[in-house]
Amino acid sequence: MTFELLIPLLAAAVQSGTPILYATLGEIFTEKSGVLNLGVEGAMIVGALAGFLVSKFTGSPVLGLLAAGLAGSLATSIHGVVCLWFQGNQVVSGLALTILGAGLANYLGTPYVGLSAPGFSPLALPLLSEIPVLGQIFFNHDPLVYLSYCIPPVMWLFFAKTRFGLNLRAVGEHPAAATAAGINVVSYRWLGILGGGFFMGLGGAYLSLAYTHLWTTNLTGGRGWIAVALVIFAFWRPIRAVYGAYLFGGVMALQLRLQASGTQLPSSLLLMLPYILTVFVLVLSSWKKGSSEEPAALGVNIEPVD
Amino acid sequence: MSTAEPLIRLSGISKSFGSVCANRDVSLDIEEGKILALLGENGAGKSTLMSILAGQLQPDAGSIFLRGEKVVLDSTEKAIACGIGMVYQHFKLVRELTVTENIFLGTKGGFWLNWAKMQDEVTQLAEQYGMRIDPAAKVADLSMGERQQVEILKLLYRQSTVLIFDEPTAVLTPREAENLFLTMKKMISKGKGIVFISHKLEEVMAISDNIAILRRGSVVDTVATRDVASTAELAGRMVGREVLLEVDRVPVELRQVVLKVDNLNDELLKNINFELRQGEIFGLVGVAGNGQKNLIETVCGLRKPKTDCIKILGASWKKFFSKMRWDNALSYIPEDRQGLATCQGLDLVDNFLLTTRGGFTQGPWLLREEARNKASHLVEEFDIRPPNLDAFAWQLSGGNLQKMVLAREFYRRPRLIVAEQPTQGLDIAAAEDIWNLLLKAREAAGILLVTGDLSEALALSDRIGVMFNGRLVDCFSSDDEAKVAKIPQMMAGLVEESSSSRR
Repeated sequence: MTFELLIPLLAAAVQSGTPILYATLGEIFTEKSGVLNLGVEGAMIVGALAGFLVSKFTGSPVLGLLAAGLAGSLATSIHGVVCLWFQGNQVVSGLALTILGAGLANYLGTPYVGLSAPGFSPLALPLLSEIPVLGQIFFNHDPLVYLSYCIPPVMWLFFAKTRFGLNLRAVGEHPAAATAAGINVVSYRWLGILGGGFFMGLGGAYLSLAYTHLWTTNLTGGRGWIAVALVIFAFWRPIRAVYGAYLFGGVMALQLRLQASGTQLPSSLLLMLPYILTVFVLVLSSWKKGSSEEPAALGVNIEPVD
Repeated sequence: MSTAEPLIRLSGISKSFGSVCANRDVSLDIEEGKILALLGENGAGKSTLMSILAGQLQPDAGSIFLRGEKVVLDSTEKAIACGIGMVYQHFKLVRELTVTENIFLGTKGGFWLNWAKMQDEVTQLAEQYGMRIDPAAKVADLSMGERQQVEILKLLYRQSTVLIFDEPTAVLTPREAENLFLTMKKMISKGKGIVFISHKLEEVMAISDNIAILRRGSVVDTVATRDVASTAELAGRMVGREVLLEVDRVPVELRQVVLKVDNLNDELLKNINFELRQGEIFGLVGVAGNGQKNLIETVCGLRKPKTDCIKILGASWKKFFSKMRWDNALSYIPEDRQGLATCQGLDLVDNFLLTTRGGFTQGPWLLREEARNKASHLVEEFDIRPPNLDAFAWQLSGGNLQKMVLAREFYRRPRLIVAEQPTQGLDIAAAEDIWNLLLKAREAAGILLVTGDLSEALALSDRIGVMFNGRLVDCFSSDDEAKVAKIPQMMAGLVEESSSSRR
């Protein structure tokens, strides 16, 4: 492949990696508090619809984005009620959220299929976009991509350098120790669930407000599940999530391009590519257990003390 | 040094769990600049008492006074705020975080954390109390002694004035233990009050100012350490000798040897030799942690002996456990009746079948109806309440659950019974039932009884063996008054191993 073809491909990788990046960061945030939320897909698609509708009826994509985040939090709050109030099984609750979210969004969105809403358009950053190669790849996108650049370092700072981040990590590692230290573990898990849901909602909004400006059924197309796998690939570190997201974005973009180029390969095989990569990545990262930062209490409910 | 008001005064504290009374009218003073040792066997109520002080449990009756003012400790946060800190036996540390992160966890302050400054604070605080620790090290990489230091620093950073140590030396090397004692001395010299829970008598003698002894939930003795002449006297006070049980022990004719231990050694046990015959109860006494656990686990097949040194019913250990019959063989009545003897979430029939299923099978099928009939007879015979076979194990009180375990094990017509703390936590009536059952069972079996309660051992046993530091110090008839009088000394390791231990 020539260089001229490679740069647009890499730019497209960043673009299609962005919604996955948002969702992965959201899931990392949730899992750091010790809650396993398999409902990423559900929270994303609910966010995507909320963002689309608000933007369509108010004409403001920014309001739409905000609504998408809040809708994501609202969706994951169901997970919070089940797991934090009733000590329900986190795996089952997360799966239910995925099914519920997809069903709800597709049903409510039926009248709007194929319609468009005002969204975010590419905005070349002055100076930065003129850097050769890198400018084309990273700084010739819409504002939501630029926003996604800021979140991983900020999240890293939050975990490593702030009191709340320390408490959140402790709750995910050893809730009993955190309780003994006087931390309200349930509130921190709520923070993890709702904060994570907000980012998942933003990931959905990227699909309906920036990637396309349209609403279609099954808009998220399994990206939430890729995010769940990427959390493991990223070893629960926000910065590593960036590489993973763009790798997957790259494979998705490549797959589209190969289809468009009229290759002999059946399109269904090409569509499988990102998911084959998911399996491959999971196998690879389970080899390197040592450097993983998996929260020790991930998926373990906090039993109420009386 | 002591002021008029003690730092903490416990007054008339009582606490029951169902029908089991863990603490009965306990009153204690924790004084400034003093180390109070709390001594007692497992199950004597030490942990319950300290959990009440740490705000984890609420007493049923009684009050707690902090420097003369009544306080209600209804949460751990409240206890911490009152300056009461607990160094748990199982550390409550986040392994993946650093020393400094663990110490500052849950403290109040600004949004941003200044690690460099915080690490300096940790180092300084540690130096004040004679500890050396790398504040940037991950807790997972630390030794047990260092982890304990982190726990202590956590409390000191929170300005705790009363520190409770729950068997702090159990996980330490002797050297680490000495460092801990130095740190404790530094703490009391700075006006802290310390509660030291232990059943290592020498340590208690060496470090404490006052000693309170708990037995069956009550404080039976409080004494200043300087008034205690020796560890033997302490052991005597701890196990007690008052006769609180009336059981008739009629000698039974001794028959064949059912258990023969010949020179058993492992990382803790040294040269254990004894024989057990059908018709006798051999009571093994000693302070907990002196090798009883290893011995029981080896005899019951949970731990493999290094050499072929155990014969059970005439067969070697390996042969016996490779094809163990469900009946006419070995029954184990473990101390942990909720964890090891029963499944909490199963009903009584399934729990009955846990060890007797061999008698209720036909090819691949389980004869559950037959088992149910049999179990219902046993429930009646042993007066187990509630007499409902569909009840789950967790719904039974400690005494009834233990009776259910005994009923099940006796149904197997065992010829060797290993009973570990069979009446721990039970009230006197339930304990008497169990004593009588054991005495009756010995007509058909040899019984190895391990207990921390000397009066129980003396009442039931035909022979007594005393364990100390992995050795069987001595074996003798329970009618041998001279030897019986010396049991406290033997338990404290003050008597040379006698040649009669080889029997």
